[in-house]
Amino acid sequence: MAGRNYYLMIAGVGGQGSVLLSRIIGDAALMKGLSVRIGETFGAAQRGGAVHSHVRIGEEVYGPLLIEDEADALLALEPLEGLRRGVIYLKPGGIAVVNTRKVYPIDVNVGAADYPEVEKILDALKKLGARLVAYDFTKLAEEAGTTRAMNIAVLGAYARMIEEADAPFDKVTLLEAMKGRVPKRWLDANIKAFELGYKVADEEISGK
Amino acid sequence: MKHVVGLDEPGKRVILQGNEAFARGAVEAGVQVAAGYPGTPSSEIMETLSMVAKDLGFHAEWAVNEKVALDVAVGAASVGARTIATMKNAGTNWVMDMFSTVVYGGLPGALVIVSADDPEAFYSSTEEDTRFLAKGVGVMILEPSTQQEAKDMTKAAFDYSERFELPVFIRSVTRISHSSGDVTFGEIRKERNPIFFDRHYKLPFRYNVYGPFKYKGKTGPTAKHAWQLEQLEKIKEFVNEVPFNKIEKGSTRLGIIAAGMGYAYVKDSLIKLDAEGKPWILKVGTPFPLPEKLLKEFIDSVDKILVVEEGDPFIEEQLYAFMKEYAPEKPIYGKTKNQVLLRYGELGLSQVVNAVAKFLGLNPPKVDESRKKLKEEISAIIAPRSSALCPGCQHLGTYWGLRFALIKVASKFKDKWKGVWIVNGDIGCYEQGGYGIFAKEIIPSTKKESKRYMFNNPYEILDTNYIMGGGIGLAQGQYQAGYRDGPIVAVAGDSTFFHACMPALANAVYNKAAITFIVMDNSWTAMTGHQPSPSSGWTAMGEPARVIKIEDVAKALGVEHVFTVDPYDIKATEETIMKAILTSVEKKVPTVVVARRECALQVARRASRSGVNLTYYTVNQDKCIGCTLCVQLGCPAVGWDKEKKKAFIDPVLCVACGLCAQVCPVKAIVPAKEGVKLTEVK
Repeated sequence: MAGRNYYLMIAGVGGQGSVLLSRIIGDAALMKGLSVRIGETFGAAQRGGAVHSHVRIGEEVYGPLLIEDEADALLALEPLEGLRRGVIYLKPGGIAVVNTRKVYPIDVNVGAADYPEVEKILDALKKLGARLVAYDFTKLAEEAGTTRAMNIAVLGAYARMIEEADAPFDKVTLLEAMKGRVPKRWLDANIKAFELGYKVADEEISGK
Repeated sequence: MKHVVGLDEPGKRVILQGNEAFARGAVEAGVQVAAGYPGTPSSEIMETLSMVAKDLGFHAEWAVNEKVALDVAVGAASVGARTIATMKNAGTNWVMDMFSTVVYGGLPGALVIVSADDPEAFYSSTEEDTRFLAKGVGVMILEPSTQQEAKDMTKAAFDYSERFELPVFIRSVTRISHSSGDVTFGEIRKERNPIFFDRHYKLPFRYNVYGPFKYKGKTGPTAKHAWQLEQLEKIKEFVNEVPFNKIEKGSTRLGIIAAGMGYAYVKDSLIKLDAEGKPWILKVGTPFPLPEKLLKEFIDSVDKILVVEEGDPFIEEQLYAFMKEYAPEKPIYGKTKNQVLLRYGELGLSQVVNAVAKFLGLNPPKVDESRKKLKEEISAIIAPRSSALCPGCQHLGTYWGLRFALIKVASKFKDKWKGVWIVNGDIGCYEQGGYGIFAKEIIPSTKKESKRYMFNNPYEILDTNYIMGGGIGLAQGQYQAGYRDGPIVAVAGDSTFFHACMPALANAVYNKAAITFIVMDNSWTAMTGHQPSPSSGWTAMGEPARVIKIEDVAKALGVEHVFTVDPYDIKATEETIMKAILTSVEKKVPTVVVARRECALQVARRASRSGVNLTYYTVNQDKCIGCTLCVQLGCPAVGWDKEKKKAFIDPVLCVACGLCAQVCPVKAIVPAKEGVKLTEVK
């Protein structure tokens, strides 16, 4: 950890599992003996609204919120939501793991707004200084057995990205924490999704 | 044990959501009766308690509304039990009658009220600060700054309540209730309060506010008021000793008074600004009454004061009153005269960092100009994401039927009416029918004449929306005022119906209001996370319960024309609603439509749990004529490809409800593969 604390932003759409993801990361921090705060805002809806989680980890943390340009990492379960939070919170040089599978806002469907091209979203994150890995993690999770393991595939990629950075935990801890949180019957699919995600980031880093 | 908060493992350290922490506090205190009504951001307190109630041997219930929940809790405390009632800010408004009366004489058991406010109104109609309500009643208020404190304060609140025989009010906010943090468990109290009843226990006629209780030369309620005020004086002394109030010494003569989330943000800010130990801090855990001894010591040590609190300037105003006598020369910064913090919206860390930096004469963290400019450019391409109903939501069918029924009725009466219908909304998932589309710009009109607005989605159908049960009352007022430019409709969900609509429906029958009331019955209190309601068939503790049918209630209340329809049958829904509107207009009576279909999310979850793989629908691109009707349904799973001018369905989101297939005029929407449709799930 570079500073006294470590900050993460998780962005997605209701139903994608961002809350579970934030809990897994929180457990990993707890396993390292650190304090954790997770601040969640989701829309009024159970599904489909923008959901984001602020995660703060350190020896001494009080409130759950991040301030501008503070996030050491951005985990984006949906590209547009990733950019929405990334543009405010991601620090220059921060890690960004982006699922490229789009979920259209209703504003786009009724013709009141345009969905930006994913390439433009990724480009914008790079311009903001992100160390980026972007992939269709939904497809990857489907290969692992269920599209619902997408969040875990993203976590796997993140586990690889932090090997090149300063983070309060490592792959082993994240994997352990994940095993403690996902439903038993989906455990194998989630482990597979985690490893596939890890591999995607590994290939990105090693330039394969 | 179905939830970690039930474990008897003192010293265990886990991540708890604030609401789970409140629940754990109640468990540690040996709660005997817990009652609440769901309301974001408070629902998980009772939800968590209901999961461990059976194993720990206490009673937990979802009451039909907050008022009843508090009445139940008061009843339990009147026979000596330790009780908790939970609610959101709006619900606290509902309980005020009992809350303000029960303090006249108090209770032998413990009564803890948790009220979750929602600064920034993430999930609420208002940003209301309910601390004012509790201060008006005259009880101790506790306000936690972390999840650990939420747990500890709740446990302590039971003791405080018993000590003074008065309710204790815990004020939470979204960032406590819906944030998570590490919490270390304490001991669980094993002892249970004896359950007894003595009408003259300690005070004569204790539970009958009109009883001839004589005190200080007065009788009845006035005497009990005098008793309460005496208790309050004792509480004022006591708060100087509670561990949640404390002074942190500083190296300067600058002082910060911080409470709740305000304290958390101040501490984070000082770390951020590398200024720990510089200002004096008075951490306030009891915003009412303020710990005056500590306050004096703090004021003596500083020359100027910054007040940081979430919500209204509640402590700040009390401080002004106090300082007028004690140290009028020392300036106060905060949300009033010397304003450094906004009075609306949530505090947030950014705002507090800036205010603290300014107060201490330090530089706040800054983003340089070129990066700011880059961020502005990037922000311009980000499309808004308006809130939407879930994929497969049965309300999509009801709103589709309602939209076309209104259009058809308007056209049928076009010579008689202006065709300007009014649809009054209510609180629940279906309130999204009034959230609108963020990306659209609205220009308000200035003429005082009825005007019809057309729309192509379900998110602009509601014309009014305020509070639980408000819509059906509003509809009657519009009718009684003589509004005849179009039909008057009100909608509400099943849980809302039991919460607040029954008296209003009786009123509509009694006072002959020709309105149409649509109850969108999905069998659950869905928006707050699928808590059971009288329409679910289950209690909070998982016991089977009798289903109260809304049609039966409506008929019993005197509604002569009650219709039932399945919103998954789009044609029938439109026809039924149309018939109900025409009946109310022609016969000049209220009519009721019950649009019943279980929440699609619940059905899809049940399918998933039982290993059933749902199919999904797909748009045959060759057949699609690009009419956009399916997109107008407003289902998040149905997308529109602007380039190809064709609709498509997101296979990950689709739950195979088949609504879009019903609205497609060319039958281009079909199941993509073998599998079960949502309607086939048991």
